[in-house]
Amino acid sequence: MSLAWRNLFQDKTRLALSISGVALAVMLTLLLNGLLTGMYVQISSYLENAPGSIVVAQEGVTNLLAATSILPGGAAASVKSQGAAEIVPILSQFIILDLHEKKQPAYLIGYDPKIGGGPWNMAAGREPRNDKEVVFDRTLAQRHGVELNETLEILDRDFIVVGLSEGTSSWMTSFIFIRKSAAENLLRAPNATSFLLVSPSPRFDETEMTTRLREIAKVEVVPKREVMENDVRLFGKFFSAPLQLMVAIAFLVSALVVGLVIYTATMERQCEYGVLKAIGARNGVLYRVVALQAFIATGVGAVIGVAVAFGAAQLIMAVYPQFLVVLEPRAVMQALVTGLGIALLAALFPARMLARLAPAEVFRK
Amino acid sequence: MNMANATLQINHVTKRFGAGETQVMAVRDVSLTVAPGEIVLIMGPSGSGKTTLLSMLGALLKPSEGTIALHGTTISALKEDRLPDIRLRQFGFIFQDFNLLSALTALENVALVAELAGVKYGTAHNKATEILIELGLGARLHFLPEKLSGGEKQRVAIARALVNDPTLILADEPTANLDSKIGHEIMRLLRAIAKEQGRSVIIVSHDQRIKDIADRVLWLEDGQFKEMKTRAVDPVCGMSIEGEKAAAIFEYKGTTFYFCAKGCRDEFERMPEKFQEGGTGMA
Repeated sequence: MSLAWRNLFQDKTRLALSISGVALAVMLTLLLNGLLTGMYVQISSYLENAPGSIVVAQEGVTNLLAATSILPGGAAASVKSQGAAEIVPILSQFIILDLHEKKQPAYLIGYDPKIGGGPWNMAAGREPRNDKEVVFDRTLAQRHGVELNETLEILDRDFIVVGLSEGTSSWMTSFIFIRKSAAENLLRAPNATSFLLVSPSPRFDETEMTTRLREIAKVEVVPKREVMENDVRLFGKFFSAPLQLMVAIAFLVSALVVGLVIYTATMERQCEYGVLKAIGARNGVLYRVVALQAFIATGVGAVIGVAVAFGAAQLIMAVYPQFLVVLEPRAVMQALVTGLGIALLAALFPARMLARLAPAEVFRK
Repeated sequence: MNMANATLQINHVTKRFGAGETQVMAVRDVSLTVAPGEIVLIMGPSGSGKTTLLSMLGALLKPSEGTIALHGTTISALKEDRLPDIRLRQFGFIFQDFNLLSALTALENVALVAELAGVKYGTAHNKATEILIELGLGARLHFLPEKLSGGEKQRVAIARALVNDPTLILADEPTANLDSKIGHEIMRLLRAIAKEQGRSVIIVSHDQRIKDIADRVLWLEDGQFKEMKTRAVDPVCGMSIEGEKAAAIFEYKGTTFYFCAKGCRDEFERMPEKFQEGGTGMA
């Protein structure tokens, strides 16, 4: 232990380099994972906070965000007749906003403020009282300098911003809310409904209610959790692969940095390790010294990386509020395990080199 | 010599490297017995097989033929995985370049070897402290090797060689990197280790001064022990050479000086006053 410790601390620049390499990798791994988790949270935030546990959509539609759904007329009445306790209708559509000459995609939700399905956390202002009022996502408003009582054009119609909602942002798109009747006018779809958010009556559990609702013709009945998973899966398809690739690259780069540093340090002390072997130290003792050096460097680096990641996450969210970085305990554990993996890789090659070291060579140096 | 009590006994040892036309025979049919407390000095020209022989004596290299026995145990026949323990507990190694671990203090360098042999941390440090104080390094216990003089480093190396109470000390050019005064001090120490502690000491060296403390001087040439002839010392590098086999000769103030290489003669020619005291010539 003492030899590993002393070897490490003798060259402080090298130690700092090694620790920084691991810290950077762990931080990157955590941040990228945190961004991915944040993205999933944002994608499913509306349904997570909306009422009901079952979603009724147009036949063949199993997600909220990536499909257009128009329910057949009378769907709500049919759902009611099957024993639903609460039915929240919404009319939703992806739209492109022109905010101070910048194009911005948004997800428009038309809802009835008396029934629900609108913003769940108001940061400022109030919900819309008439068809000319809109609740904007606070982050989206902040990014584009939109203020309360400002008049905005949405699909050629003027709306007054009467409220700012919290937790409805996403770096891809944000939610904006108007009354359902306003949405019907805006989308030129009178009496149309995209989705029904259904709560079963106490007489039925969710599975029984779902089975009963599936008897209704030309609608898709999907548990809310499944719709959320479908949304996450759909968007994850686009973003998780490149993010995971970046995580893998970060891991490889840091493994190479630490591996190179430990390998160079071992090579430089090759003669000293040869002396130890000649004196009678077994390979196992030398492996332990090298492995301990790698573990100390990566252990310290990993802890620093986790701390820096938490700081960087706060900074990113402050500067770019559309990004949500969620650092879960599970991800922190994963990052620490990543550090362990880096240490193992970093120790592997020097250990092999030591195994091949011939002790008799010390007399020839 | 009573063979039964011998510390080390090597019989007809040969070491070959390579095979076929490129085969090199580094040591040929060498036999030697070393008694407890005896100091054996092995001398010889470069490439004569001294280092190979020393490596085999220290169980770092296995002979191609012949046997090496330590206190009656044929260590040359032991499996590789048993040799580290033998080296750790039975041998003490002293190297030309001291070979201390640069990140550890003098005390830690010595204590580490005891710890490797299974001695507990506290006991190992106490024992290392005791030996270092005995060798006059009490004030240098917590110094890193870079802060020690050459003589101090070699004394730490000697302490490291002694810490596990070995019966045989193997020293490779122990005075080569030391000035005359410190070299003499190290020689005195090695003699004390042999005569007062009863340990056998085998030294490989070019240093003629070590002859003074050796009980036996052996001349190794072409991998074989040969009879010591009347020899001269190269005044520049200090190497012992046969007059007839000298690479160069130079007359200066009525004395003939012998050199192991032309480079040494050229250096001598440039500043003969600087070197004439260091060599032995023939008037």
